[in-house]
Amino acid sequence: MTLPDTIPFLGFGWDDLLFMGLAAVMIGAALLVVTMRDIIRCGLAMIVCFAALAGLYVLAGATVVAAAQVLVYIGAISVLILFAIMLTQTKAGPNALVFQTQALPAAIAAAVLALLIGITVVATDWPATGTRIATSATALATELFSNYILAFEVVSVLLLAAVIGGVFLAKRERGGNE
Amino acid sequence: MLSALDGLSQSLDAYLVLSGVLFAIGGFGFLARRNAISMLMSIELMLNAVNLSIIAFGAFSTSLNVDASVIALIVMAAAAAEATVGLAIVIAIFRNRKTPLVDEYDAMRQ
Repeated sequence: MTLPDTIPFLGFGWDDLLFMGLAAVMIGAALLVVTMRDIIRCGLAMIVCFAALAGLYVLAGATVVAAAQVLVYIGAISVLILFAIMLTQTKAGPNALVFQTQALPAAIAAAVLALLIGITVVATDWPATGTRIATSATALATELFSNYILAFEVVSVLLLAAVIGGVFLAKRERGGNE
Repeated sequence: MLSALDGLSQSLDAYLVLSGVLFAIGGFGFLARRNAISMLMSIELMLNAVNLSIIAFGAFSTSLNVDASVIALIVMAAAAAEATVGLAIVIAIFRNRKTPLVDEYDAMRQ
């Protein structure tokens, strides 16, 4: 059985339906991340947001980046953040005040920023091709290990430095050496 | 009315507007939340918005196609490093001040 080219009754393609669904999930989850009271639930909503973003990467043809998104963001960074949340929970439970006093100006500024970006994007005539181009993993690997080899090595040193720095910063001080 | 939605996934504008909205949400969270870890999560949202726009540019341009994926991977590694150090700093401050709320970190003001 094959699917029809466009969705019956609605009149747009399956890709567009996927895009709209993933975009709605992503924006909704991101709004939950910044507005929910319980910070553990914020962390879980962040995982949903990252997963929808990985779906959008697949839709845009960047499958390797989507796999890296699942591994690095959902697998590593989210777990790190959830552990940090559990380490910094106070006994009093969730705080009464979620937002700072300047939350309303921040909301207005964010809305204006989104509007400005939207207007700029729509008004600009991008030199873009009409259809999406998929990225092949072979071409990506060739490029990464030939033209971008210096950046690759620098990033590996950066990660090593970040790991050492993180352990040093979070290490418990032993003895009263102050 | 629904025909305006046809070809949405084939237009660069849709991806870029989506990325702009995600960036604005992250910026709002960074400015408005009181909890330091919430602010770090908002920074992650903003980094992901930038990554989405890079991938979108790569998907709709033949000359940028492969480079965009490489740049996105490097941004991801930098974001991982940033999250490690940021959370270590938050935990170190929490150990001294016993609170994760940034508006109670007022040692420099007194």
